[in-house]
Amino acid sequence: METTEADTSTYHPPWRKVAYGGMQPGYDDNYTDETFLEELVMNANVVKRDILKVMQDSVSISQYLCIVALVVIVWIHTLDSVIGEGSLLLLDAFLLGLGFLILLLTTSQLSFKVLSKYLLNIVFFTCGLFVLAPVYHTLTRSISSDSIVALTISLLILHLFLHDYSGYTIRPLGCAKNPNLASNISLNASIVASVLVASRLPSRLHVFAIVLFSLQVFLFSPLITFCIKKYSFKLHLCFSFLLISMTLSIIYFLHTMSFVIFSSLLVFISAVCPYMLIKIQVYKFEINGPWDEAKLCFDITD
Amino acid sequence: MDKQLRHRILMVSDFYYPNFGGVENHIYYLSQCLLQLGHKVVVLTHSYANRSGVRYMTGSLKVYYMPWRPFVLQNTLPTIYLSLPIIRTILIRERITVVHGHQAFSTLCHEALMHARTMGYKVVFTDHSLYGFADVGSIHMNKVLQFSLADIDQAICVSHTSKENTVLRSGIPPEKVFVIPNAVDTAMFTPAHKRLDCDTIVIVVISRLVYRKGADLLVEVIPEVCNLFPNVRFIVGGDGPKRVRLEEMREKHSLQDRVDMLGAVPHAQVRSVLISGHIFLNSSLTEAFCIAILEAASCGLLTVSTKVGGVPEVLPDDMIVLAEPDPYDMVQAIKKAIHMLPFIDPHLMHNRMKSLYSWHDVAKRTEVVYDRARQCSKKDFLHCLSRYLRCGAWAGKIFFLVMLLNFLLLSLLQIWQPWENIEEVPDMELTQDQQEDIQLNS
Repeated sequence: METTEADTSTYHPPWRKVAYGGMQPGYDDNYTDETFLEELVMNANVVKRDILKVMQDSVSISQYLCIVALVVIVWIHTLDSVIGEGSLLLLDAFLLGLGFLILLLTTSQLSFKVLSKYLLNIVFFTCGLFVLAPVYHTLTRSISSDSIVALTISLLILHLFLHDYSGYTIRPLGCAKNPNLASNISLNASIVASVLVASRLPSRLHVFAIVLFSLQVFLFSPLITFCIKKYSFKLHLCFSFLLISMTLSIIYFLHTMSFVIFSSLLVFISAVCPYMLIKIQVYKFEINGPWDEAKLCFDITD
Repeated sequence: MDKQLRHRILMVSDFYYPNFGGVENHIYYLSQCLLQLGHKVVVLTHSYANRSGVRYMTGSLKVYYMPWRPFVLQNTLPTIYLSLPIIRTILIRERITVVHGHQAFSTLCHEALMHARTMGYKVVFTDHSLYGFADVGSIHMNKVLQFSLADIDQAICVSHTSKENTVLRSGIPPEKVFVIPNAVDTAMFTPAHKRLDCDTIVIVVISRLVYRKGADLLVEVIPEVCNLFPNVRFIVGGDGPKRVRLEEMREKHSLQDRVDMLGAVPHAQVRSVLISGHIFLNSSLTEAFCIAILEAASCGLLTVSTKVGGVPEVLPDDMIVLAEPDPYDMVQAIKKAIHMLPFIDPHLMHNRMKSLYSWHDVAKRTEVVYDRARQCSKKDFLHCLSRYLRCGAWAGKIFFLVMLLNFLLLSLLQIWQPWENIEEVPDMELTQDQQEDIQLNS
């Protein structure tokens, strides 16, 4: 707090950064000392980002996009009556089995009790769905198909926007954090979308099969991918690449234009976006100083 | 005083009596002292419950309670333009020369400053609080502040830390920002006549029990101190969402007989609570100035406070013990304060406070700021407009349009209700004894 600006003719005590004692002799109230903004700290907490790391993290998004794309393909084919209800039910059973297998292999603390609880829940869930299928079947009869398609697409976009790509929609074992509000809204949007699609199908069994399929994917796939990622990041990457290449090849055989659009979207997400994120880091400007609200160093939730 | 040199000041803020707080006090005491210096002061605020219209307070301080309901947190609904007619009328009626706005999150203050600048009045702004730069709320507030201060004549902050903060937030040159602290009415906060004995040490906390005031720190500190010193008692005055946590803490550590929870303390009773204690504890997490510390010191209490914001500037080092805002450090600070206690003389402390802080001093320093504002060259509106464009790529253009539209509205008003038709209020001249009366009372 030393000042060099002391007048030689009349002696002034050096300026001090204090508010008491009235106006400091020799210094106006708008006097700006050299120490002004001395305690300003810039970019103290900025994390240096590595492009490879960001790209690896973006794989989760691409992976989930592929899952949703696959669901949409199944929907379209069911609506076009390419896939029958029998094969749909088989698909449901296969996915359920696969999901449990992955869960068993990746989660260490899975006991028989927990597993039986899961199974019981699924049985209840399936029965409920089966009973409700006739309701879903006639739910949107008075609404035109165009509106349903438009609504479904917008709901899916909402779902993708709000989805928690690093988290889960169902709490896995050993995780304390509950899913947040945005991810719950996202889940609900996806459920409504699948019910809307199902209501356009010809028979009750179709409806049951397609809703079961969609719910399995939207509810449990984030859980499964989360478990895989927690188990091993390499496995997660392999699984994602497998899924991405599978989706791309399926789309390629179905529709070339969609393939181009979808693959460019994937490139945009996992290469262009991370690159742009790294580029704009230069503009990051964080200011800290004594005026900041103090952070408590202990947990106040208990 | 020479008629030419008199300022005619309009103080504008959403926060004024009967609401209570630092800003309200500041406006009241500053106005009273400015009145005594011979200036004319008018206060403008929004209506409080059924208090609406014009009121007079001590020393013929005129208060306009604008008939607008508060919308959230005692703020009026931000309408930007709707307040123009009434504020214009008040400015013309009272022949105002300087408009002085208070508090960055008062919408009425921002609107009044905007209209005053459009009409070419001198404007001064006092910032009473600190803001960060990181969260959405702060970013929005900082942009509003940038708009309000883009064309300001002079600004005032209550501490040096607050000045740094304001300069960074609004981007105005630091020479335009004055540091004039708050003060305390030492005549109201006097120490107890009889000195308290030091057998049991009473620590007083008076603050709203909210997160920002560090109520969570208290929850950690109080049991620890009670554990270390069996002769310490706490008195906690104040209410708020964190009161439940404090009561839980009291229950959990069975401190019911050692921690008194008073609930909200009316400002008139603050002194009587303060003088029943030896040490005042302030646990705020952010604070631009903290008048509560002044009040406590004026009552002769030793203060223990968190070292945040402008608090380190408020008192000399031998009157305050500072600690980092973490429970361990605060307990250490309280320990130190308890050891210092036998060497503290409350009356000596009170007398020191009298010499350190006075509202008259604050008013004299504020007068200088008004003088400077008056000396600022008069600019035409178009020249000022260009300053708004410099506020940011998008914000600048929006601000520009907002001001332009305001100017058009003002011109329209001028046609509809020419200012020649607005009646001016005659000044109330106090007689000599009335003036002496007021001076004796204060």
